Order: sequence, then structure tokens, then C-alpha cells
Amino acid sequence: MPLAGTLDLTDRVRTAPQMPNTDAEPWEIEGVELLHVSYEIDDRHMTSVLPPALHPTIPPTVYFSVARYPDSPVGAFMLAQVRAGCRAATLPRGFLLRAYTDSPRAAEALAANWGYNCDIADVRLNRRYERIEGIVRVDGREVLNVALLNPEPISGGDIQYVANMNLARLPDDNGRGALIQVDPEYRFHRADRGRPQIVAFDREAWHARDVDPVDPIVASCVVCDTGFPRIRYVLDPTVPAMAGTRKVGG
Amino acid sequence: MKFGIFYELSVPRPWDREAERTVYERALEQVRLADELGFDQVWCVEHHFLEEYSHSSAPELFLTACAMQTKRIRVGHGIVVCVPQFNHPVRIAERAAVLDILSGGRLEMGTGRSATWTELGGFRVNPDDTKKTWDEIVRCLPKMWTQERFSHDGVAFSMPARAILPKPYQKPHPPMWVAVTSPGTEIDAAERGLGSLGLTFGGFGEQEKRIAEYRRRIKQCEPIGEFVNEQVNTVNFLFCHEDDATGIATGTRLSGTFGYLAAQLLSTREAYPSRSYPSLGLLPQLRREQTSPGDAPRVPEGLCIGNPERVIGVLRNWEAIGVDRVNFLLNAMETVPQEEVLASMRLFAERVMPKFAAAPAATAGGA
Repeated sequence: MPLAGTLDLTDRVRTAPQMPNTDAEPWEIEGVELLHVSYEIDDRHMTSVLPPALHPTIPPTVYFSVARYPDSPVGAFMLAQVRAGCRAATLPRGFLLRAYTDSPRAAEALAANWGYNCDIADVRLNRRYERIEGIVRVDGREVLNVALLNPEPISGGDIQYVANMNLARLPDDNGRGALIQVDPEYRFHRADRGRPQIVAFDREAWHARDVDPVDPIVASCVVCDTGFPRIRYVLDPTVPAMAGTRKVGG
Repeated sequence: MKFGIFYELSVPRPWDREAERTVYERALEQVRLADELGFDQVWCVEHHFLEEYSHSSAPELFLTACAMQTKRIRVGHGIVVCVPQFNHPVRIAERAAVLDILSGGRLEMGTGRSATWTELGGFRVNPDDTKKTWDEIVRCLPKMWTQERFSHDGVAFSMPARAILPKPYQKPHPPMWVAVTSPGTEIDAAERGLGSLGLTFGGFGEQEKRIAEYRRRIKQCEPIGEFVNEQVNTVNFLFCHEDDATGIATGTRLSGTFGYLAAQLLSTREAYPSRSYPSLGLLPQLRREQTSPGDAPRVPEGLCIGNPERVIGVLRNWEAIGVDRVNFLLNAMETVPQEEVLASMRLFAERVMPKFAAAPAATAGGA
């Protein structure tokens, strides 16, 4: 059967966000600007970045995203994520390695409601004529700088962004942790596509020591209505998704 | 309605020395039996880099072996990836002609362009270009086969006048098909006078609309070859067993295994937003047919699994919506023991095949 993740979850679970429950009310946010950059990664570590519940994509991939949320119940915020491309059984997903936001209130809410492992940083999304760049700085040090080069308009209907799998702790997870599926819908108003570029990527800062981007795929940047939905599925990270998935929230 | 078999040649890990050889040997045994039982055609895909899912990167060699070991069954080269980074168009025409000669004029020529980033990225292909290069190449193939000398000044490739040899045994040339997964590709097939080689599973309602539109549009086609190949070919799973529950259980395991493997691949649209890939192709179709984790299992619509009566009923539905041929995947990852696969084929030939009248053979005009 397909390869599966081999990530040792012991430390990850210990530092994962503690969620009180999976009952968070959804956030629907209009006019979100989102830069998404994807690369193939070195296949020597294709399984070691994922928990056993998930399969790596073939070829293995990493997704960088930097988003501006102009409004939310906790106010405007920026959010940057690095995710490893994967499958939960047959379904395309991105396993969150780490996230940064510029808003302490957003960090707290995203962690408690949707399991985002989220720290504070200076997160920027800059749109220029010839490039759109996402930059993350922690204490003044650049830990991520990715870009879309020479944007060209495309149809938003051609874009597919995959749902998150966020490792968190739940009261009833028996200490094994839980993968929280966060699968927002997108309504696109504008979309651009272009060549991706990584200027800076501090792997340690993203809990991504084994993630070595080697081959660019594509970058896109969209303006869309999206958000953070009601949680529908939770997975046991230690067993295959087909066996360890449960529905929540009715 | 005619029946065939269809190979992806999936190979489970671990890939020891015998793993791939075993899969190929078992497939050849199935093809020999299919020939004896009256199956009309055997198709084999071209795929690259698709771990476990398909280790069929040189289908023309497998099909040559099939042809050498059989007498009657037609060999479906399909689909050949008509993307120049995968195959130079001249080499496509040459290899197909040799296969047609060696098989004694039994070649069916399927064309397509690949649907996965796994493959396109591996050959450094821009997904935006594949529809255009397929169109250019597929229009050249009949000319390469029928003109004494061929020259071309195009975008996908250019070449001065040369004699492309040998020529196919079937005259004027073998029947041509195009793989149809994305909605709208059936129109591409119809407008060019090509057969529709459907690669989606199940879903009578959607398929009926697409087949009707294909039939309507092909009436006014401008054929790119020397004749129109108006036929609708689909792919399905087959596991036929006297006991319906056993047939369904094994068949569901087969289709589920195949779908699970297919889902691990990186579809082009998922990886690379492009107008050239308006649907997600075969993979999401299979994902939809799979049960989501946490959902109750069910038997997907339109699959030929179960006892002969159930399979006959399913095929009657396909026949009613206009399908001419059905090709069956017999195994995936060797999840069904070889003896059970062979028994399923025999039962199908004995109890199901006779219920469907043979249609006129799809032969090249003038052959």
C-alpha cells in the first residue's frame, strides 16, 4: 500500500495547541488576499514530515501561504503557513507544520478553535507589478520570503486549495493528539498565477527540518471570500485515516 | 456491445526482483485466456513515475507480447501520451506501425496527454501546452502513416520531409481514439472523428449526456484521419462470481484498492491551476466513488461486480446509454488472487457475454 508518514509525534503533541472542544463557530471573511506557493521537496524525507495517519503526495510537496484577512471576530490579521502536501486516505490535504500571525488575538483564537500551531511574527504580503511576495520576520529575522513572479490573470475556477490537517490536543484524545480537518470553501474574485520563488526559508523556524524544497511547481495569488469553517472531521494521527477518522459536530 | 480488458499494471510494494515480473506474467496469462474466451480487445496504458499505481511505461512492448501470444484479440495502445517531451511524434507513429504489423493488423490507437503533475512535472511539461500539442500530434499521425514522405512545421515539433517507416498493416491506418476524462474532451473526440475512450467509472446520468453530445457532434465532424471512428469505449471493473455477495465484496475491494492508489497521485489541476485541465480527471472521480473516511461503505454505481445477473443488468444500462465497448480492469495491486481473476473471466464469458449481440468490428476503412 502507499507510503505513510513516520513522524514521531511525541514532542509535536506535547507542544500542540490545546483545544477545549471542536464546537467553534465558523468565521466567514470577505476579501481575503492569499499568496500560495508550492514546491516539490526532496523525497528522501517524504515520510518523515507526516504523521502515520497521512500519505505523502507523489511527488512529495510543500505549500507556503501568506494571507491577509481584512476582518474577523478578532479584527484584521495576517497568517502565514507552511504545510506538507499529503493524503488523508484518498483526500488531498496539507499537514500544517507551523503558522505565524501578526495578531495575538488571532493566534489564540486560531489555536483554540481550529488547532493552528501559531506564533507571533511580522507577516507581510506585498503586491507589486512584477511580483507578489510574502515575508515573515521573527524578532527582525527573516524566516520566510516567497514570491510569485510575473503574475498573469487566470480564472479562480482553475484553482484548488487543499484543506488543512492541524495537529492539536483534545480533551478526549487519550494523549495521542488529534488531526483537525479545516476545510474552508473559497469564492474567488481575482486570481493570478506565476512562477514561484523562495528567497528565504528557515526550516527550523517552521518545524520543517526535513523539508527541502527542490523543484518549483507554481504560485498563485487570489482575492477570495473564505474563512474558518465548522469542524467536521477529526483524525487519530497515529493510525491510517481510513481507520482513524471520526465525524464531529453532528 | 464488445468487451475488452484494460491494464494499468499496478505493482504493490515491496518491489523485490520478482514483483514486477509476476504482475506482467499474470497479465499475459489473463490476456491469453481473454483471447480464448472471446474478449475483443486488450488495452494498456502509458504511465510514468506512478508508484504502485501503474508500472506500465512501455505499453507497446507489453502489447507486442500480447499480440505474439494471441490470435484474435485486438491490442489497444492506449493511451499513448501525445506530448513531445514524453514521445517524439515520429516515434509514436513508428512504434504503432510496427505493433500493427506484428499483430497482423490488430492495433487500436489511443491518444491522450496525461493528467497528473507526477508525470508532466517529471518531464518538465507546461500543463498549459498539452491540449495544443496533443491536437497537433494527433493530426499528424494519420499523415505519417499514409503519406510516402512527411514534413511538418509546427509548434510541438518540426521536421523536414522524411519517409516514416514502416507503414501500418491496416489500411489506410488503425482506428484512432482519444482518452476522455475531462468534460468536453468527448467534443474534441467528436469534432475530429475519433473514438471516445472513456476513462471514468460509473455515473450513468453524466455519461449519458456526454455520449449523446458525442454522437450529435460527430455527425458533422472533420475527421483528422482517413475515416470516422464513431464508437464509445468505457472502462469498468470486473469481478463476476456465482455468489453475488462474494462478487460484490471482492469487486469492491478491487475498485477500492485501485481508487485508493489513484488518489495518491498528484493531479495536474490540484498542483497547477490551468485552463487546460478544467476537471480533475480520473482521480477525483475515483475519490468520489470511494467512501470518505468515516462514511458507511456502498457499492458504486455502474460497476460490473457481483453475480452474472447483476453484471448483465449493469451492462444493459451502459448499453442503453450508448456505450459500444466496455473494457475491464481485472485486478489492482494483486488484491485478487490470479485463480479468482481467471475464474471471473470464465464465468463472465460463459454467462454474460452471450447476452450481448456482437456489433460490427471496428476496422480501418478499406482494410
